[in-house]
Amino acid sequence: MVWFALGSILLPILGSVLVLLIPERHVKKAGQFFSFLAFICGLLLWIGFAENRDSFTRDLLTIGGINLFGITIDTLSVLVNLMVVFIGWLICTYSVGYMNAGNREHPVTEGIPRFYSFMLLFIGSMSGLVLSSTLLGLLFFFEMTGLCSWNLIGFYGDQKSRNSALWAIILTHFAALGLYVATAFVYINTGSFSISALGNLNETEKIIAFGGILLASWGKSAQLPLHPWLPRAMVAPTPVSAYLHAASMVKVGVYIFARTVLEAGAVPQVIGEVGAIMAVLTMVYGFIMYFPQDDMKKLLAYSTIAQLSYIFLAISLSIYGSELAFNGAVSHIFNHAFAKGLFFLVAGALAYTTGTRRLSMLRGILSKLPVIGVGYIAAAMSIVGSPPFSGFFSKFMIILAGFQVGWHQPLILVLMVVTLVESVGSFIWILRWMGVNVFGSPSEAIAGASPTPVSIQVVVGVLILMTLVSQYIVFLLLS
Amino acid sequence: MSGTAVVNFLAVLLILTSMLVIETRRLRLAAYMYSLQSLVLVLIFLSLAIFMHAEPLYIWSFTALITKVFLVPWLIIRTLKKIGDQEGESAFKTSTTVLFAVFLVALSFAVANSFQTYAVVKVKIAMGVSIALFLLGLLCILTKKNALKQIFGYCLMENGSHLTLALLAYNAPETVEIGILTDAIFAVVIMLVIAGRLFKSFGTLDTDNYTLLKG
Amino acid sequence: MGENLLYLLPAVPLVTALLSFVIRSYRIVEVVHVAGISGLALLSLGLVKSLLGGQTFFALDGMLYADGLTAILILLIGTVGFLSGFYSIGYMRHDLAHGEVKERDLSTYYGFYHLFLFTMILSAISNNIAILWAAVEATTLGSAFLVGFYKHKTSAEAAWKYVLICSVGLAFALYGTILTYSNAFSVVQDAHKAMLWTELIKMAHQLDPQMMKLAFVFILIGFGTKAGLVPMHTWLPDAHSEAPSPASALLSGVLLKCALFAMVRYYAIALQSVGSEFPQTLLLIFGLLSVGVAAFFILVQNDIKRKLAYSSVEHIGIIATGLGVGGPLGIFAAFLHTINHSITKSLLFCTTGNITMKYGTRDATKIRGMKKVAPLTGFLFAAGLIAVAGSPPFNIFISELMTLTAGLKSGLFWPMILLLLFLVIAFAALVILISETVLGSPPEDLPRGETNWMGLLPLGILFVFMAGLGIYLPAPLNQLLQDAVGVVLGH
Repeated sequence: MVWFALGSILLPILGSVLVLLIPERHVKKAGQFFSFLAFICGLLLWIGFAENRDSFTRDLLTIGGINLFGITIDTLSVLVNLMVVFIGWLICTYSVGYMNAGNREHPVTEGIPRFYSFMLLFIGSMSGLVLSSTLLGLLFFFEMTGLCSWNLIGFYGDQKSRNSALWAIILTHFAALGLYVATAFVYINTGSFSISALGNLNETEKIIAFGGILLASWGKSAQLPLHPWLPRAMVAPTPVSAYLHAASMVKVGVYIFARTVLEAGAVPQVIGEVGAIMAVLTMVYGFIMYFPQDDMKKLLAYSTIAQLSYIFLAISLSIYGSELAFNGAVSHIFNHAFAKGLFFLVAGALAYTTGTRRLSMLRGILSKLPVIGVGYIAAAMSIVGSPPFSGFFSKFMIILAGFQVGWHQPLILVLMVVTLVESVGSFIWILRWMGVNVFGSPSEAIAGASPTPVSIQVVVGVLILMTLVSQYIVFLLLS
Repeated sequence: MSGTAVVNFLAVLLILTSMLVIETRRLRLAAYMYSLQSLVLVLIFLSLAIFMHAEPLYIWSFTALITKVFLVPWLIIRTLKKIGDQEGESAFKTSTTVLFAVFLVALSFAVANSFQTYAVVKVKIAMGVSIALFLLGLLCILTKKNALKQIFGYCLMENGSHLTLALLAYNAPETVEIGILTDAIFAVVIMLVIAGRLFKSFGTLDTDNYTLLKG
Repeated sequence: MGENLLYLLPAVPLVTALLSFVIRSYRIVEVVHVAGISGLALLSLGLVKSLLGGQTFFALDGMLYADGLTAILILLIGTVGFLSGFYSIGYMRHDLAHGEVKERDLSTYYGFYHLFLFTMILSAISNNIAILWAAVEATTLGSAFLVGFYKHKTSAEAAWKYVLICSVGLAFALYGTILTYSNAFSVVQDAHKAMLWTELIKMAHQLDPQMMKLAFVFILIGFGTKAGLVPMHTWLPDAHSEAPSPASALLSGVLLKCALFAMVRYYAIALQSVGSEFPQTLLLIFGLLSVGVAAFFILVQNDIKRKLAYSSVEHIGIIATGLGVGGPLGIFAAFLHTINHSITKSLLFCTTGNITMKYGTRDATKIRGMKKVAPLTGFLFAAGLIAVAGSPPFNIFISELMTLTAGLKSGLFWPMILLLLFLVIAFAALVILISETVLGSPPEDLPRGETNWMGLLPLGILFVFMAGLGIYLPAPLNQLLQDAVGVVLGH
């Protein structure tokens, strides 16, 4: 098991070094290969864990008697790790088709090794973050993902993308200070870097530590007031955006929050209150920002912000003692990943074939590009939480748990009512765009679309399937 | 006249000569003034040697005579011959500088007063003067704009610490004094070389004009 | 064995320096130079190895001395001296080929390079506090020529500021030295013993605390000037940017630490003599001030070498903060940071050498698209900058986190938050620099390609150290740092 875990961390990192050294024409194959290896490791880890269900922590790097890095195998880490490597592999495959000179929106002729190198490093770092058993490991990989996203967001190298990339790294590095303080603070109070050491802190100490962790999580997950980097990050190549939004960058924040809450035992309620209030505020903000957007990726960016707020809300609810909320959070991390990943790849496919991402110019996708059209429908339905798509289950769990908690907590009740309103509102708005874009006769842009590369079609197909079944994968482990 | 009185009298002379070094505008003249001051310093070393029975100070006074009374002024004048005699510009009027100087001297005596436990108790005035000399050198560097004038300031600082060394640590191993003196001489030599290059590049020794590097 | 090394170690660079000055042919001087730096590197490693485990050696009637603190400095002098010395060869050949310098200048350059190494070694191994002072002052004089090496107006100006400000600053340190000596002399009445650091530390608790406080202030101003602490740092950006790049590497990488460690010797005495609060508070204030001021200056400079020079001020500030935090962890962090910064900053300064060779300018607004023009150099530059910005997977991340941890442990919550905020500013400044110079689009007319292998090999080695120390701390190095901490805390 440990070897599979290490494999999913180290193989992509090894790959990221190798792709810089081999001839450029082999790079895409190598990138696909190493991300596939990571996926296999993640899958085997999941299978192994699903069989015997034994959670454990293994220390791996100890200097001077202090454990610096180790891995934790449990439901949360195994599940999220699977998501990271699976989507990572899909993105690497999709990019084979996307990152080439035939791209209408943004032809790519150079920098492929750099792209794959950082992409693989990103997968490895994410895996490392997810499996880490120490706060030091979290911090280390937290910053690594920042570096990777910086390079990938700024991939095209023009002034605008470089500036957007700077926003991403500087803002998230600022947020990381919270994690720096929390790590140091836990160490000096418990003499250990282990995440579970959080449980040994007293009430006040926990508030300080979780204050830092919340700041870091908000930064990475683009929650108010540290959100401005995410909409700007849309200048990235679309597969990168997909990865950032589905399985990596923004999921770092919620994952860290979930992991620490899980390990810390009783968490002070004030953290739950602050977390829930900020989550709902962000959710409303994200929702309001839907309306002016015409760029499909921008719309999706704000949708991500709002969906992550659901996860924050759910984790905050779990602080009140609701296990259902925590399971909802884990499910939503997982389900949202596939739905949002699919949505971005659909947007990317549209941009690749038609050269535009403007919602108002897209009509009749289904008739001209059936796979993409079905992908659009599946993604949208899953995001807004309509059955039978997975998004429904996790959203339902969160809202149900919320009302259960709210029964005794007036504050939560108010927040849940707002959440419900947002949920209905975004349902209407996103399905409205779906109606406009997918059905009807093709608009000019769609009619003139170039053929979709096979790798893109395959990946979109796999993801459509995943939006239907991802919840069951979660159920398998949760039961 | 008691030994202490002689030392203290000479020490006051040091302050006067250092003001002359600072305020003499013509650099060649300032160099002579510096030589004069160093001579006073040598005399202090000698009298300390006699009155305090500090034999090592005989050697000190000899080395100081060679290096400070003759060598350093000669080096400066040699540089002046190369680049032509200069007049040093000052950031302040003479009266202001004197005012500062008085303040610094008072400060030094206050500091010297706080030294209770040492041999200096007998020559407290000389101790105060040595600190004053050091600070006056600093004042010279800060208020004078001419590069060579700043070198004089450094030399004054050096004389000040040399006197402190003689008062507090005359019994230290000779190697120490030699090491420190060598460094001081080399520092002056290198500063003079660089000053020569500055004059060649900028055509002036006025440090206000050296503004290529900022921030 | 260890004692012989104490004689041999300064002798090698001294002899090499003298040989370089007298030999005219630059080809032969290069050979002598390579022999010199190789010998130095081997001897340093030998000495460091024999010092492991808290060993100490004396030589020359107790005047020369080596312990854990010495070991760190010698390790840095040996490694960085060797690598940037190796790098110098390619760099100087390039300057020679482009008519920047004449053949004769090369002999002088190598001569002064080794003279400079000699003075630094002397400062590291001297036990006599007066010789220690003299050696640090001599480092200024030895390196002044390197700063003013090019015949530009700016180099003359930089050298002037360098020598004047450092000499004046060190005059304060001399005062501190004299005060310490007379303080000790009144305790032991033995002129020889009162000059030796090893004796001073033994009698530290007998020294008059008031005098020791005064002495420490003078020492802090004096050696602090030389170490580049704000507000005495004004010479540093000029000197470090005007020197030839390999010399800048030595200045930033090693020289600053020599001055800093001279201060650490007095810090150790002060800790025992006047208690921890006074020296630590002073160091903390100077440290934080340095980090804060330098962070802003990194942001606003245009010259890449000046940016790096200010980054050195920032990191010296972090080391001072670590010392100011104190305790075993704080001092350990400070020493680890010393090593980490030396490696990283030498890498960066040598890389800027490659960049200036390629672009012919140091102006950050003109250097663009390194990733296309010289991908390897660009990669090393970016990696180095990320490292000095304090981000994983590189070494400085570890020591910064350690400093922070030590600070929080000492209950310095707000000072540490302040430190972190300053570090974010510096971080932002450095990633913006990467974003502009490495990632932007290159000028059309610039030929692509790297400089010669001699300019890349030493950088590659430094990169390996930098990345290696980011994820692992080898046991001997850990031991070495523990020894050094033991020396300071008197265990």
